[in-house]
Order: sequence, then structure tokens, then C-alpha cells
Amino acid sequence: MSVFDGLKFRKVHSPIHNLDPRMKFIYVIALFVVAILFGQIIPLLALFVLQLPFVLLARVQRQWLRSLRGAAFLAAFIFVINIVTRFFYSGYVLTGADWEYSAAMSLRFVVLVESFSVFFLTTSPDHLGLALEQTRVPYEFSFAFTTAVRFVPVLAEEAQTIMDAQKARGLEMEKGNFMKKIRNYIPVLIPLIVSAIRRSLELAEAMESRAWGATKKRTNLYALKLHRGDFALLALTVGILAVSIYVYLFIPVPTLVELL
Amino acid sequence: MAVIETKNVSYTYPGATKPSISDVTIKVEKGEFVLITGPSGCGKTTLCRCFNGLIPHFYQGELKGEVIVAGMDVTQHQTHEMAKHVGLVFQNPENQLFALSVEKDVAFGLENLGYPREEMRKRVDWALNLTGIYDLRERSPHEVSGGQQQRVAIAAVLAMQPEIIVLDEPTSFLDPLSAEKIFDVIYELNQKIGITVVLVEHRLDLTAKYANHIIIMDEGKVCFDGSPREILSAEETRLIGVGIPKATFLYKLLKKEGINLSNVTPLSSEELSKLLRGVLEAK
Repeated sequence: MSVFDGLKFRKVHSPIHNLDPRMKFIYVIALFVVAILFGQIIPLLALFVLQLPFVLLARVQRQWLRSLRGAAFLAAFIFVINIVTRFFYSGYVLTGADWEYSAAMSLRFVVLVESFSVFFLTTSPDHLGLALEQTRVPYEFSFAFTTAVRFVPVLAEEAQTIMDAQKARGLEMEKGNFMKKIRNYIPVLIPLIVSAIRRSLELAEAMESRAWGATKKRTNLYALKLHRGDFALLALTVGILAVSIYVYLFIPVPTLVELL
Repeated sequence: MAVIETKNVSYTYPGATKPSISDVTIKVEKGEFVLITGPSGCGKTTLCRCFNGLIPHFYQGELKGEVIVAGMDVTQHQTHEMAKHVGLVFQNPENQLFALSVEKDVAFGLENLGYPREEMRKRVDWALNLTGIYDLRERSPHEVSGGQQQRVAIAAVLAMQPEIIVLDEPTSFLDPLSAEKIFDVIYELNQKIGITVVLVEHRLDLTAKYANHIIIMDEGKVCFDGSPREILSAEETRLIGVGIPKATFLYKLLKKEGINLSNVTPLSSEELSKLLRGVLEAK
């Protein structure tokens, strides 16, 4: 059941998991901005290294490495495209600066992916829904979000059951050419959709029975409160932004080639 | 004092040609443990939906007669108003839990009603403890077993502290052992906090001993309404297709052969075995 592994929302407690998702989100956006500001490899490397303490503190190294591996292919692709265009652009010669620039571009991509993956690896869907709710997103939306997350594994399991049932009735899913294979999925999709609709009716019934829509002012069992760690993260975010903008405006960032 | 009272209730689902329940008149007293049973499609579920106003508000359709629950006319009060007084637990545990953690699910109704956080915390913990799932509170409802899910659903309803809890075949997705545990929980609630229980159930073997009032329905009508011992010893009950407890059945067979164990009809194996032992030891 490896497909469902990523969807387990057991609560994990670590300094990073306990941070306020809103603060984490602001931090990620700041990293984004900084990564876009700089095209040189040194600041991008710094950004990359900056994430390591987060990953280690949250103890999500393994998942983090897995997402790195996922990004590796695209990063390599970006590197090759850059090298090739540089090669033709600068008249069929490659200098050290060209190599460095291409590496920086793929590193930028890796940094963008990593910052988001750290955010999602350390923020439970529950927390995220709560953050949505407390940033005054209408409750219907955050409810739809958490319910969708909640029912992904349920529907995945159901799809598997239907597939098994149809196979037992003689449906050959792997047969035929590409178009035929797509068409093979129709006998799975229709029951899946029908049962999802029926399920949604039952859900609606249960929600009604539990006083859905009783008051305009809905309360919440949990409250997001800003703790010391959150302020520290905010300070860090502001610091990074300030330093980056200062450097960007007043200090020319050297490239590795120039340094060596 | 009757907490549920229906008078000549008939209901037709929208688009249906004939009514699902017709001319149902019942009365449920406060603190009773009522068992509603009957063959599939006899209108038990429809009747349950009338108790908290899902019928007529959610389902529309045509409702005739009068349904008074906790002193309120269901046609005049929306389902969310009724929810404070009547809790409904459904058949499929999976489709009535929607949060990402057990305690959040239990809090769902209270959140909707706008309770302050401290009060909510107190009630959620109370409900979790009462149903014996306090240790599961941080788990995802998807991860726990079917029996535990159904207990979460019961806790979720209890947290709103209703006067009546209506359970519509709560154990039909469960194995017999988990089913028995669920019935124990329900019975305990009935005894401990005096909540009125309306249980729709096929397995009389497991539940008849708890009930002090049985209603048997067939084809949308109430055909028997009274005390369990009386109704289950009547010959007609079996003919409708109600699975009467095996202990009661054996008692009746023996009686037909001329062996009268006692004048009180046994409802559970324990009761029967006690009677049998008594007779055998006397010889």
C-alpha cells in the first residue's frame, strides 16, 4: 500500500511541524522571492544550505531526499537546455561562466522545489485547513479541502476494489493499444463516479445531522497561536529578505569563476 | 413523558409512487431503549430520518401526520436545530466521518453550533472517554477499524449531548464481535446517562436483551409495538421474517413439546441457560 503512505496524517511533533503554517508559508514565499532575485550560484547555494537545518530538525530527511530525487530529472533537463542554448548563443564555445550559469539555473529550480516540499512535508493537511480557516477563507472552502484530503485514500481503495471486481468479470485492462487502454478504464470509472455521488449524499446527510450551518459564527476546536518559534521564524524571514535586497541593490555578487 | 411521538405519519419520497411508511403511530418514552426491527425495505430507515427532520427538510417529498420529537414539531424546525436534541448514527461508518483526526470529528457538531473552545474541549473529552476511544483521538478516522469508526460516530453525536440517540443499523458493516462491543457501549450510555436510545437492528440475538420496547415494522406499517418478551413469544413475529433470538425460539419449541421452562420468555442465551440449568438441577 505504498501509494497511501504519503497520505497518512498521523500527528508528528517536531519544532518545525509545530510552527504556524502561516509563518511557514510566508517563509517559503520569501525564499521564492530571493531565489528569483539572484541568478548567481553562490546565493542560491546559500539558500539551499539554509534549508538543511529545517529538514534535519523536522526529521524528514528521507522524504526530503526522495523529493530531491524526483526533482533531479527536471533539474538535469534545465541544465542541459541552458548549456545547449548558451553553446549556440555564444558561438559554439563554452566558458566556465556558461557552466556555472546553467548549474545556477537548475539549482534555482531545486531550491524552489525544496522550499515547497519542506513546507508540505512538515505541515499536516489538518493544520493547513486550519490555517485556511483562520485566514478568513470561507469555511466551505477549507472544509472542501480537508474532506478531499480525507477521502483520497478511501476513493483509491474503492477504485482498487472496483478494478478487481471488473477483472474478476473478465475485463482485461492491459489489453490493446493506447486508445483501447484508455477505454478499458470506463467500466471502472462509471461505478467509481456513481458510488462517489452516493457517498457524497450520505455525507451531506451526516453533516446535516450534526448541525451543519447552524450558526454563521462557527468555532474551532483548535486555535493557531503564534509562539516564540513562530516569531523567530518571522525574524529569520525578514532578515533573509533584508540581507538579500541589500546585497541585490548594493553589492555585486561575484561568480565562482571570478573568485577562482 | 414521551420524547418521540408520531401520529398517523405517512411519507412518500419525491418521485416514488407509493409511500415508504404509512400511518405510523408510535410513542417512545424518556430513557427507553427501543428496538425497531423488520424485514429490509420496511421503512425503518425512513422513520429514523423523520426523527431529526432530514425528512422533510433534506429529502423533501410528502410528509403527512405529525412528528413531535423532544417537544418540537420536525416540520417547523430545521435539521440543525433538531441536532441538539436528536443524534443520528448511520449505517456506514466511513461516510459519516469527515475530519482528519478523530477528536476533530467529534468536535464537528459543536463547532457548527458555535460552542466556545473550553466547553468544546470538555465535551469532546467526555464523549471520547464514554465511548472508550480517548487513545485514538489524534488518529485519522481512516486508519482506525470499522468498529472504532462507528464509536467515533457515536461519540460525535454524544458530544452534542442530545436527549435521544437514533442508530440506524450501526453494526451492519461490522463483525459480530465489534457489533457486540458497540451494543455494550450503547447500553451503557442508556444506563449511565439515561439517554433515550432508538436502535434499528436485524440481529435480535444480540440486542433483544437490552431493549425494553420493541417495534416491528413491515411494508411501511407498524405491526407490533410493545414489550420484547411479549412480542417475541408471539407466533406471528416469526412469520414476518423477523429473526427472533435463538434462545427464545428454542424456548418456544420446548413449550410446544409440553416443556414449560418458566412463564417469562428468555431473550438471551444467558437467560435460557439459567432456566435450563435450573430445571436440570431440580431433577
